Amino acid sequence: MDNNEIWVYVETTGSKIEPTSLQLITKAKAIADGRKVVAVVPETSSINAETTVKEYGPDQIKTLVDDHFAHATDEEIADALFQVTDKNRPDSLLFPATILGRSIAPRLQAKLGTGLTGDCLDIYYQDGLLVQVKPTYGDNVMCDIVCPDRRPQMVTVRPNTFRAEKGTGGATEIVQSKFTFHKEANSEVVATDPIINSSSKLDDAKVVIALGRGAYSDKNIKLAQDLAAKLGGMVGVSRPLTDEPEFSHDDQIGIGGASLSADLLINLGISGAVQYTVGIKNAKKIVSVNIDKDAPIFDESDFAYVGDVTDFLNALLKQVR
Amino acid sequence: MKIVVGIKQVPETDSVKIDPKTNNLERSGIQGIINPFDKNAIEAALQLRDQAGGEVVLLSMGPDSYTSSLRDGMAMGADKAVLVSSRAFGGADTLATGYTLAKAVESIGDVDLVLFGRQSVDADTGQVGPIVAEFLSVPQVTFAETVSLESENTIIAKRQLDSAVQDIKLTLPAVITVRKELNNPRYETPVNMKESFEKPITVWTEADLNLDPSQIGQAGSPTSVTNVYAPTKEVKKTTILPEDPVQAVSELLGKLD
Repeated sequence: MDNNEIWVYVETTGSKIEPTSLQLITKAKAIADGRKVVAVVPETSSINAETTVKEYGPDQIKTLVDDHFAHATDEEIADALFQVTDKNRPDSLLFPATILGRSIAPRLQAKLGTGLTGDCLDIYYQDGLLVQVKPTYGDNVMCDIVCPDRRPQMVTVRPNTFRAEKGTGGATEIVQSKFTFHKEANSEVVATDPIINSSSKLDDAKVVIALGRGAYSDKNIKLAQDLAAKLGGMVGVSRPLTDEPEFSHDDQIGIGGASLSADLLINLGISGAVQYTVGIKNAKKIVSVNIDKDAPIFDESDFAYVGDVTDFLNALLKQVR
Repeated sequence: MKIVVGIKQVPETDSVKIDPKTNNLERSGIQGIINPFDKNAIEAALQLRDQAGGEVVLLSMGPDSYTSSLRDGMAMGADKAVLVSSRAFGGADTLATGYTLAKAVESIGDVDLVLFGRQSVDADTGQVGPIVAEFLSVPQVTFAETVSLESENTIIAKRQLDSAVQDIKLTLPAVITVRKELNNPRYETPVNMKESFEKPITVWTEADLNLDPSQIGQAGSPTSVTNVYAPTKEVKKTTILPEDPVQAVSELLGKLD
């Protein structure tokens, strides 16, 4: 049996609620057009994520409560979701394209025998179908994908593609879903180490100083770090610099890396390949510095400085209070 | 230990563009290569084989031209390859592809471990590994950054989530998808390249696999692509700052506040 509902998977790790899930609740409400927006929340008994989720105004919250979720494997989470999804299939089911979302959603897809489009950059309804907009070929090409006959229509959506907004009015019904947590015999999370600095993720940083190939030098790295410290921001890099010893994949902006939501982004020596610019679309103010006046990055920028990165950084460090 | 590595042949992505007038994909004359992330999976398989013995079997689904990637993978050191190839598989989306590959793994038989790259660089879905794991009813670790044999039939793999690092213990058989950071893939050597032409590539069609015809190819694919186009670019109104860095910065700070 199908229903006319949009479900959003709310990812929780420890007591933290994945921001992308909240962004998806806001988006689901915006495109719902009469459909009911339901947040699905697997959690342990001590988290009570529904208190926070409620503020974003879904029509209903379904909680799946079991203390095993503290250390659940992909198989166990997918199995729990299958139990609540299969019999009363929603029209659409949205996941954050986080590591966990991208791991669970396809397993659930195979259990349900339906379609899933990964890493979407937009979703909207047209003629009753969820149009799933997905980049391919390193974001050089966009595809519109639909799942005409099977339900739910599943997607994962890239973090920070949409903004989360707290909802107004409308009561949220909270329902505890019945399911049984099935322990998977052949896999087990034997250790979970929290990442200490996860609060300072690039995706969520308010100020980002980004370095590219054209700015790579010991001096510029130091200046960029000083500036980031002064502005309460973080240093990120374009993909080529992740191969250098000072940086890793975790510092990468763009495809396969961070999608920024910064209020201020300063690009230093970054030319502006599509693989990079896809990660900066939601930065509010963009300043770019490049020696090449024709660098494509300037097309994406609010402010352009054609000249030397070191000179610009020195001047900026002096003048910023 | 019998290890299957799923690989995909992809175009060199940076050169694939959309013709702005016709909205057609321009990919003529572009050479196919092994999906770069898959080389990390092959390397991981070779290291496990060197440690535990056994064999590494490459598996791919696609047209005959995919044999060139399979040869490249065998030149890295894999022992043999299976290509699942037939018109009946055409138009497969991730679900149909995952189903078909799972059936091929069953036909290879007695497989302990199936490895994949974290995602393909052309479609970027990363879905096929978990779908294969589900169809095989085996556990998975995705985006693994370390993989170590713990005993004859258990592996511990590390995976980094957004706020935690997990150690996951798998009892084989299992599926693992690997991150680029896991290892540095070895280069093909001239001797291995020569030998790769003596190693067997088995080609299977739907007749060779024990599968449900309604679950393969276009018929088995719930999704369809309705539109392909170039991304639209919003051109921003850009303020060009003066040439002198000190003046540039003061103008910038004045306008940002």
